[in-house]
Amino acid sequence: MDVKKVIMATPSPQPVKIELELEVNGFHRQLTVAPAARLVDLLREDLELTGTKFSCEVGRCGTCAVHMDNKLVNSCLVMAYQANGTSICTIEGLAERSLDPIQSAFLEEGGFQCGYCTPGMIMAVKALLNYHANPTEEQIKEGLSGNLCRCTGYGGIIRAVQRAIKNLNENEIEGAVGWKK
Amino acid sequence: MLMNTSLKEWKGKIRPDGPGKVTGGIKYLTDLTFPNMLYGKILRSSEPHAEIVSISTDLARKLPGVRAVVTYKDVPGLNGYGIIFPDQPVLCKDKVRYVGDALAAVAADTEEIAEKALGLIEVNYRRLPVIDSTEKALEPGAPLLHPDGNILHRAGYSIGNVEDGFQKSFVIIEETYDVPRQMHAYMETEGGVIVPEPGGKITVYAGTQHGFKDRFQLSRILNIPEKDIRIVSSPMGGSFGGKDELNIQPYGALLALAANCPVKIHQSRQESVKAGLKRHPMKITVKTGADKNGKILAHKVKIIADTGAYATLGPAILDFAVEHVSGPYKIPNMETEGLSVFTNNGVAGEFRGFGGNQITFALEGQMDRLAEKLQIDYLEFRRLNLREAEDPGPLGQRIAPTNGATHVLEAIQKSFFKRADLRNEKGDLNERWKARGTGAAITMHGGGLGAGRMDPAGGRLSFTKDGKIAAAFGFEECGQGLLSVIETILLEEFNCLDKDISIVIGDTDLVPVSGSSTASRATSMVWHSLQKMKDSFRSQMIDLAELATGTPANRMEMGPGGIWLKDAQQSGEAYLSFADLASALVQDRSISVQTSFDFPVSPDATVAGSHFLYAFAAVIVEVEVDILTGRVKVTGMEQAVSAGPVVSPMGYRGQIEGGGAMALGYTLMEHSIIEKGIYLNDNFDTYLIPTIFDVPFEMITEAVEELYEGDEFGPRGVGEIGTVAVAPAIAQAIYNATGCWINKLPVSPELILEKVSFMEGDKWM
Repeated sequence: MDVKKVIMATPSPQPVKIELELEVNGFHRQLTVAPAARLVDLLREDLELTGTKFSCEVGRCGTCAVHMDNKLVNSCLVMAYQANGTSICTIEGLAERSLDPIQSAFLEEGGFQCGYCTPGMIMAVKALLNYHANPTEEQIKEGLSGNLCRCTGYGGIIRAVQRAIKNLNENEIEGAVGWKK
Repeated sequence: MLMNTSLKEWKGKIRPDGPGKVTGGIKYLTDLTFPNMLYGKILRSSEPHAEIVSISTDLARKLPGVRAVVTYKDVPGLNGYGIIFPDQPVLCKDKVRYVGDALAAVAADTEEIAEKALGLIEVNYRRLPVIDSTEKALEPGAPLLHPDGNILHRAGYSIGNVEDGFQKSFVIIEETYDVPRQMHAYMETEGGVIVPEPGGKITVYAGTQHGFKDRFQLSRILNIPEKDIRIVSSPMGGSFGGKDELNIQPYGALLALAANCPVKIHQSRQESVKAGLKRHPMKITVKTGADKNGKILAHKVKIIADTGAYATLGPAILDFAVEHVSGPYKIPNMETEGLSVFTNNGVAGEFRGFGGNQITFALEGQMDRLAEKLQIDYLEFRRLNLREAEDPGPLGQRIAPTNGATHVLEAIQKSFFKRADLRNEKGDLNERWKARGTGAAITMHGGGLGAGRMDPAGGRLSFTKDGKIAAAFGFEECGQGLLSVIETILLEEFNCLDKDISIVIGDTDLVPVSGSSTASRATSMVWHSLQKMKDSFRSQMIDLAELATGTPANRMEMGPGGIWLKDAQQSGEAYLSFADLASALVQDRSISVQTSFDFPVSPDATVAGSHFLYAFAAVIVEVEVDILTGRVKVTGMEQAVSAGPVVSPMGYRGQIEGGGAMALGYTLMEHSIIEKGIYLNDNFDTYLIPTIFDVPFEMITEAVEELYEGDEFGPRGVGEIGTVAVAPAIAQAIYNATGCWINKLPVSPELILEKVSFMEGDKWM
């Protein structure tokens, strides 16, 4: 049987662009982007913040996770216009003068291997610990269930979360609470 | 993590690539951009099997923003690739054999334009019958997928007389094991940037597990000398074998040369699923017999592997499966026949475990069934048949003597009793709809490519003008922690600081040939290389220090930050810093040591691919089976591994835990389904891999570091061993929980429900 595809060349309409204003990692940004651009495109392409990754582009893997107005979102599922007027925090915005205690814990406990899921995973841990300072096992699982890691089997990630909790609690006792924005 | 030796201080340190990975600062090759960079897209076949009547690219070429379109007409050299033999067309001319086959590629100003241009390429196909199973491929008169027929490779091994063995057997078990197509599911899909350089050269920034092999293959395709191709291949967002073969590199290179601009290709997940390699599905039919005392007498195995449309490493994977048919057991009579069969079902190829996972599921399944029939404890049954240190290897070849099998079995036996006690204490076994069970399995896994195969290794150490000890290896960082391994061994050998060293890997212009970062070989080969180079390097460093200071060489040694006096008090400072030592490097004097050698092979191997160095693992798992839903949950997993000394504890544990989780997915959920040649689950919404909910919250890894007396081969790699014996351990645990034997993966809830209600539903009422 022959299979034929009928193709019609249609003239491309003039590309339209939209204007956006938002805050990214504390900086005010004005951008002109395609209407169908996603937040992940805006971050990676327009702002060259390539710490945010993508892997499935259907909101299942969490490698593109960032914070939008302090909520964890998959940036592949947020259209650029939906990010208009919001405040975004990406992995690049997490460390201020020094590493966030979560980042240090990932280093110390081997919470990563290839590192490709790591930015999204750390943003998810950050969101988790913002909600629950002392999460239970169930809360840890719930909080990280949207982030896939193919390398670690999650063992190192779980230990990193536990270490981060411990470090943060110790810091709070000492009065050093600079980690909470 | 349990280990037999004490940890030295530096062994707990963080990975050199860690800070970049936790801050998002590290640039993966798919994160790179270059001035004037174009975006490339590859048109893949819509048909699993068809003749190509015509390909028309006219409309695509006219689309504004399109800078280059290439088809088979534009391949200057060999239109084919494949690590063993190049049977896969780069761009198909007259026939497509799977839905990942490439027909054309486009480079355009934006990804959207490139995507649109693909839609304007007109391909007319004449459909051919789809060979969607190995059975169909082997039917007499089946359409031939390749000129030499539908059998890619045959492999076999026999010893003794199996029929005689079966006659003497008291029990015989016959079973067919059916294992699925698993996807690597590296988080970073294939991609990178290919940059044309002055003078007709190119640089390829794209992940691979063997840069020099990519360079060789691309040279053949592009008709460019190898020296004019530079491959930069690290870091990668995971590979697990899947990026070992070429993927987007030839298309990026053809487009970059045609457009004379850098071209970026980064496949979507769907494109990756369609085009990428998978683990070989296999049907393994086994007949095994044992005597009354539990000695295995005969083992007859037939393996049929669905290798898909093209060869890649299919032949070697079948050889590996045939070699590991008897695992760590002594079996006097064996007959193995293996067939690797072409179909239109994607392309199966290299994947962590390399055929070992499939065959171990079958072998250990037989061990469990025989033990049950003989009423012998299943670990005791294994012990009765276990190889001893100086026994020959599984193909009769001499191997490095090892007690690994005994060590891991003993370790897991101890743990088994511990766990049984714990369960009794808890006393929660009677929860109405939950069935719990424990299961264990062991394995033996060869490292390196094996006898009769080109398996070079090597490295280089030099002292740089800015006072660094520079190590260069042709290996890649896929995420496994190779940089950490190199750093740890350097610090250990030279007693220096991490700031004293620099490491270069994954760049063919800067590194010596080290062979592939596959087959659990890189850690082992880094260690071997440094053993060969360290004395010469150290003495050249000390000689230079003597020249610089006039102090006799025998009074000095290398230490943190520089050269130290042996007899001096601990002054806290080096006698001569590396920076000052470097200033003594005058023009005609340099320090550089290079080594090249081959991966150790058996001195008397007669079968190609047979191994010399093996690692061992034993796995114990606990499962909870929900009798109402058929869901299986692994609630505990412990692995004991014998692979020589641990180089990097964090990396070691990560490999074993991560491998365990990947194998848990293989056992319980992962199946890349192909129907009539078409992939049905092409993203993570339908192809499920384990989440944090699916793995035990705590996993235990025990490293047995002891080597056999006189063993000089150091650490073995552990990249694969943690994935090999998990499936049969879970299957055994399910049996112990429910009484259902598992012979098909992944274990689906439907299968459990069907078996439970059919066999012994009454038990649960």
